[in-house]
Amino acid sequence: MAEAKEEPRIGVFICHCGTNIAGSLSIEEVMEYAKTLPGVIVADEYQYMCSTPGQKKIVEAIAEHNLNGIVVAACSPRLHEPTFRTATQEGGLNKFRFEMANIRDQNSWVHMHDWEGATAKAKDQVRIAVAKARMLEDLIPKSVPVEHSALVLGGGVGGMQAALDLAGAGIKTYLIEKSPSIGGRMSQLDKTFPTLDCSQCILTPKMVDVGRHPNIELYTYAEVENVEGYIGNFTVTIRKKARGVLSPDEAEARGIIGGGCNGCGDCAEVCPVIKPNPFEFGMAPRKAIYIYHPQVMPLQFTVDFDSCVKCGLCVEACGEEKKAIDLDMVDTFEEVKVGTCILAIGYDLIPIEEKTEWGYKRYDNVITGLEFERLICASGPTGGKLIRPSDGQIPKKVGFVLCAGSRDNTGGVAKPYCSRFCCMYSLKHAHQIMEKIPGAVPYIFYMDIRSFGKMYEEFYYRIQNEGAKFIRGRVANILEDPSTKNLTVFTEDTLLGRPLSLEMDMVVLAAAIQPKPEAERIRQMFGVSKSQDGWLLEAHPKLNPCGTTTAGIYLAGVCQGPKDIPDTVAQAEGAASAASIPIHTGEVQLEPYFAICMDDLCAGCGMCVPQCPYGALALVEKNGRQVMEVTEAKCKGCGTCGGFCPGGAIKMQHFTSPQICAQIDAFLLEGGEQ
Amino acid sequence: MATEKNYGNPELENKLRDRYFYTTDSNPEFLADVKKISRTIAHMCYQCGTCTGSCPSAPRSSYRIRLFMRRGVLGLEQEALNDPDLWLCTTCYSCTDRCPRDIAPTDVIMAMRNLAFKYDIVPRNFLKTVQLIYTTGHGVPNNDVNRAAREKLGLTADPPTTHSYPEFMPGIQKIMDHYKMKENADRILAEEGQ
Repeated sequence: MAEAKEEPRIGVFICHCGTNIAGSLSIEEVMEYAKTLPGVIVADEYQYMCSTPGQKKIVEAIAEHNLNGIVVAACSPRLHEPTFRTATQEGGLNKFRFEMANIRDQNSWVHMHDWEGATAKAKDQVRIAVAKARMLEDLIPKSVPVEHSALVLGGGVGGMQAALDLAGAGIKTYLIEKSPSIGGRMSQLDKTFPTLDCSQCILTPKMVDVGRHPNIELYTYAEVENVEGYIGNFTVTIRKKARGVLSPDEAEARGIIGGGCNGCGDCAEVCPVIKPNPFEFGMAPRKAIYIYHPQVMPLQFTVDFDSCVKCGLCVEACGEEKKAIDLDMVDTFEEVKVGTCILAIGYDLIPIEEKTEWGYKRYDNVITGLEFERLICASGPTGGKLIRPSDGQIPKKVGFVLCAGSRDNTGGVAKPYCSRFCCMYSLKHAHQIMEKIPGAVPYIFYMDIRSFGKMYEEFYYRIQNEGAKFIRGRVANILEDPSTKNLTVFTEDTLLGRPLSLEMDMVVLAAAIQPKPEAERIRQMFGVSKSQDGWLLEAHPKLNPCGTTTAGIYLAGVCQGPKDIPDTVAQAEGAASAASIPIHTGEVQLEPYFAICMDDLCAGCGMCVPQCPYGALALVEKNGRQVMEVTEAKCKGCGTCGGFCPGGAIKMQHFTSPQICAQIDAFLLEGGEQ
Repeated sequence: MATEKNYGNPELENKLRDRYFYTTDSNPEFLADVKKISRTIAHMCYQCGTCTGSCPSAPRSSYRIRLFMRRGVLGLEQEALNDPDLWLCTTCYSCTDRCPRDIAPTDVIMAMRNLAFKYDIVPRNFLKTVQLIYTTGHGVPNNDVNRAAREKLGLTADPPTTHSYPEFMPGIQKIMDHYKMKENADRILAEEGQ
């Protein structure tokens, strides 16, 4: 079956990986065995094949022995395939004349204490790799041009930072935010730890920068409807939700010169519909035509069509000059072409009321950390006066329940991971009540205080010094006194070894966080994997924390895993940098693993076309008959079509049927002969 | 609150003099035994105290379930099995319901009680209970006060248990004989001179 164009001349190189591999199996035996395999001209070993001298061995061996295939038995292709491909290329071969045997992750690490077994398995692995290497062909990667623009999904602090960085690098950036204003969770916070900067004060200038930047096209109250294409050439359909209010630009486009919303608020004044404001977690009212808070960007009102009664009072109040309100507005769609995308879609709190032992939503005075932020915020529903929801009294003893649903393996709404910022914001909350309420005592019920950031431990020291009471013990349950609405918190002081029951005026739950419900739809649309916990999955946790397994899609902020503001901003800058590389390079090389249709074998049945998960296949007319054609840039080489084709007309490059058959034969037949 | 500590007791003074934890005090088999009997991941305890915080016994006694979990992890077999507090658990399972690590602390205590029984470390009242179950099928047998109350409520004097069906007693005794419960209880009480 093999194309006998040239005699195979294979070089096998075995890596010790320090003691990672050499400590669990016999390198010597595997190397001697490799020399006996058909087609192998030379076999060698080295302590670290990935090092410069290790790679030099490959380069030199190619020249010396006139090799036409390279096998490296080492770690995983994910880690070092590019390294060895480069070495192969430097030696003068096509870089796809390289095959890797993963004798570390798949062998020495899993059979650490089985020297004989691991050695035998390594021999199998090398034999299989050599079998494929004998049949490798030259492949030429294709280049595709990259659109000079990027998309950022999510207008929180991470998305804003990524957009600003991209725009600053001269890239046209589309920033999509589903709510009527950018700012995200950070705009709901009062102050930020450990510097106690006012959150809005440091955020608003950024929001204004985003709104003003000539390279940023801001779409608030918009969602991504559909994504098509591949790195360099994504076509994104944006749904612009019917806002009911025109911006000055939109008004001008309709021929209303000098019109559009200027944020005066005359409309909201006359609106008769009153609804709870979700930005304030329902603790303040809003009208059916509304802005969340005074610093919104853009300053443009929005009609909540779910509650609007279309009485038209607002249209009248807005006046004939501005003509900003259009109650008949419908959703519109717009397509943009971008080279790369950054997802920064943020997080939600878990429904902590489902952990019934703490009584959230059952007891008035049990609130979440985010609700506390609004209650203590000067622009919040109480003007910054912290009061008890039950009776408006000022609380003097406030309990903070840390790890409320975090680090909890019991399932349900509980999350096994650490939510990472709750310790710090609870410290901050403790500080705030001591600052604002004379004589108030915060009680922080903690399991561990994780104050791992820059100046964080010092912040912990400061709060302790200010008089906050720290009780090392997880809160078991909370009961309410129905007459006073005071709360009794039950826990053990684990340092004292005594159970406690403390009466509090108010309890703040540091609830665990979870991915947004829409994350699932978005990640599927963009082809991004998720981790066990549902967070979007990075390409590599250490070496590629901003990238994803889909080329051209990057992650920023909490949608990838819990993070505080500095980490979110840092990752956003990383994602922006990664996303700008292909754009500035102008073109990307695609792995040549795409499927090829062998036209003379293709019956044109078209059954492969709907099988392709990437929409890369189509039937076309060639020489008077229907055959399948692959859009190479869209094809990911998954092999679904090749495995399915009834006529065997589809060839998967680098994973051809003869190559795979040779590998299976090498394992089953040659292994049996020994 | 403050009661005088008896510093005249030489045994106590000896104990107070040395409170170090020696690795030789630790029996690694103990944790393995506890896990085998309790079938829970006892070694995963991170000492958050939710168990003690949930415990209805703890505020009324010196019983600290978290402390027993710790003794299990550290293999402090003698300390755990000889502590009379081991028998203060009411097995209400509140700690098991709330443990964030999904451990069953109650089952750990039950396992330790099982192990203690092998060393004959059982409080007298528990042994008496064994004897009562052996003879009546009940840990707390019916008494005249109860009988009168039941009749007043229009019920039979004895409930439909072994009180009403003494023919099932041999079966219960057979099970208890298999585990040598009665035999051991009798023996321990006899050795104590009871």
